[in-house]
Formats: sequence, structure tokens, C-alpha cells
Amino acid sequence: MGNLVSSEWLRLVIGIIVVLAFSQLNALFLVWLERKVAGHIQLRLGPKEVGPFGLLQTIADGIKLVGKELITPRTADRTLFVIAPVLVFMPVLVGFLVLPFSPNLILRDMNVGVLLIFAFSAFTVLAILAGGWAANNKYALLGAIRSVAQNVAYEIPLLLAVLSVVLMVHSLNFADIVRAQGRIWFIFLQPVAGLIYLICATAETNRAPFDIPEAESELVAGFHTEYSGMRFGLFFLAEYTNMFIVSAVATSLFFGGWQGPFGFGLGIPGVVWFLLKTYILIFVIMWVRWTFPRLRFDQLMNFSWKFMIPLALANLLITAAVLKFVQ
Amino acid sequence: MLPKELLTDFLAVAFYLLVGVIFAVVPLIISPLIVRRSAGMRREETYESGMETIGSAWIQFTVAYYIYALIFLAFDVDVLYLFPVALAYGKYAIRDFLEVVIFVGILSLAIVYAWCKGVFEWERKR
Repeated sequence: MGNLVSSEWLRLVIGIIVVLAFSQLNALFLVWLERKVAGHIQLRLGPKEVGPFGLLQTIADGIKLVGKELITPRTADRTLFVIAPVLVFMPVLVGFLVLPFSPNLILRDMNVGVLLIFAFSAFTVLAILAGGWAANNKYALLGAIRSVAQNVAYEIPLLLAVLSVVLMVHSLNFADIVRAQGRIWFIFLQPVAGLIYLICATAETNRAPFDIPEAESELVAGFHTEYSGMRFGLFFLAEYTNMFIVSAVATSLFFGGWQGPFGFGLGIPGVVWFLLKTYILIFVIMWVRWTFPRLRFDQLMNFSWKFMIPLALANLLITAAVLKFVQ
Repeated sequence: MLPKELLTDFLAVAFYLLVGVIFAVVPLIISPLIVRRSAGMRREETYESGMETIGSAWIQFTVAYYIYALIFLAFDVDVLYLFPVALAYGKYAIRDFLEVVIFVGILSLAIVYAWCKGVFEWERKR
């Protein structure tokens, strides 16, 4: 028994080293990709000077960020201001603990995996509120309260969409949910829930068209206006890692996880399928950002309360009815 | 005592949180050691479009946010109750379906109520 436990811990320790390296590389890659995608959509080239295709641009930016001074405004709440960047990064690693990269590559196969990820993603809201309020800056405060209001509004349809899937599988375990999609992905059985999930995930990660918490044209930089150097870097890192996590969750809940389409694996390893689908979803989220305009705040809030939540509730009821009476 | 598997789950989550904190704190400690400090009276002033900062940001803001927070609280707790329901769904003939309908029906009344009360209408300031 002691042997078993220690091998489990060896796995977790190796896992966290890989996860740390992966989250860094992922953020570096995504920042580069975001700028390239933005560039090409706007008929520009994006970064191209540093390294091949500008791939090393983000590393140069990262080194610059470490070399910048950490300034705390005189009137700020010092304790909260310093804690907030740490608080925003703290929960992102936990998400990787339960993500099912392939049948054998789940760091810890928990029976409450889905719940765990959504519980810890709620931390981000706390960190944003703490950071935005503590800065004692009007832009930061406005950005923070908008962000919180938006995040809580879109969390409900998000959870309801996930519930429709859980209702079909009777399990909160990611591996079980992926296995249940062997023949047909849930995006085909639950198209409404899948769409709701993607829209809400965009809103939860504060990305356009739901990016009014950091709307550059009115709020400077939103909740992180006063953050400089690596403190800003941590917010940035957490944002891009969260983007990966929401896309990975979408992949495993709606797009078949490590499985190929309609049960055809084509001999490609599960990890490749999983990462491929996740990065395609991330590309779609970026594409959306440069295609749709930003919404006005009350329109944004009421779109969730008046349309998304009733739709998600109806979807849940229909799912329940179909499960009961059709089968 | 918790079963060993469950205990490992909790410890694993705590371990990952701890590593997350360490990983976030290290660059914040290293960075001040290598940067050049800027001088000047204004460096610690709050940013306000380059003008002199007027007053504090810690003021009252619109009550609309408070009402949204209240409905959210009601909803989020209710949605949480639906998770165990989703896991146990299908163990009874018809009873569980009826209960879900009643529960979601009452839940929807919250939105209808808020809608009728005009929570979702934002008045234009004159």
C-alpha cells in the first residue's frame, strides 16, 4: 500500500513539472498566435522580426516584463494589491489535475473532476475584484465590478449547459464523460448546450465580444490598469492558461476528448487528438475576438439573464424529458 | 478518517495550489532585485489619464450590480443542488423527472419575478 501511494505521488510531482512547463509554453505560444491571428485578420503580418515567424517575440516581451519595476500606488490597499496577482495564478494549475489528455494521461482521475474545475475557475473572479478594488483607481474599479457582474451572470448558463451533459452520463468524472462519446460527440446530441458553453466560456475568460472589463477604448486596461511588471505578467499568464483550460473542458465535454470523430481514431494518439481539438477551439475564440464588436454593458448582462439562462433551463428540461421518455 | 484515495485527492489539490503560489511569488521576488528603480515624486500616483487624480475610487456605485448579485446568489445555490440530481437521475420511474420539472419551474419564477420588477431595464441617466 505504501508503495502504491508513493508511486501516485511520484506521478503527481512529475505531473506538476510538466504542467508548469506546459503552461508557460502554452502562454508563450498563445500570445504569439493571438497576435499573428489578429495581424492576418486585419491584413497585417503580426510579429515577424524576433526569431522565425516572430516566434520568440513573446519571450522577448516576457524578459522585458521581468525587468520592469513593480509599482504600488500610494493610495492603494497594499496587502490586497500584492496578493491579487498571486491569487489569480494559484488555481490555474489545479485545472490540469483532472483534464483527460488521453485514457492513460489523467494526473488524478477524480470522480468530481468537472465540479473541481468550475469551483476553482471561480477564484479568478475573486482575484480580479481584489486587484481592481485595491488599486484605488477609477478605471480599475469599474473594470473589476463589470468583470464580476459579467462572470457571475455567465456562470449560471455555463453550469446549466454542463449539467445537461452530466445528466446524460450520470457522472462528474471526465474520463467517463469522454468514454460516453465513443460513437457520437455530445456536440451533435447537445448542440444548444455546446453553443451556450462556448459563448459563456468566452465571457468567463473576459474575451471579446465580452471584454468590457478591460475595454481599452474606455477603461484604459480595466482591472489591471495599475499593475506593472511581473504582476501584470501573472494576470496575463493566468488569462491565457484559463483560455486553454476552458477550451480543453469544451473538448472533453462536447468534442469527444481524446477520441477521433465518430469512433475513427485513425491510429493517432489520444493526446494529439485532444490538443488538436483544444487548439482549434482556441483559434475559434481568437477569430471571434477579431470579428465581433464589443457589446454595451447592459446589453451584455441582459443577454445572459433574458436569453441564455432561460434557454439553458429549457435545454435542461428537454434533455431530462428525452432521457425519460424516448429511451 | 477519510479513505486513502480521497485523502490523496485533497492533498493533490492542496499541493497543486501550493506550487501555484510558489510559482507566482518567485518572479515577484526576483524582479525587484534586478530592476532599476525610477525616481520622481509622481511615480506612485494613481493613473488617471495623465491628469492629477481627483478623490478616491472607493465610492458608492450603482445599485444595479447589487441586485444582479442577489439573483446570482439565489441561482447559483440552486444550480448546485441540480448536480446531485443529475447524478442520480434515472433511478426512479417518473418521480425524478417530475421533481426536476417542479424545481426548475420554481427556479424560473425568480427570473420572471426579476423581469417583471424591471431589474433588466437600465434607466437612462438624465
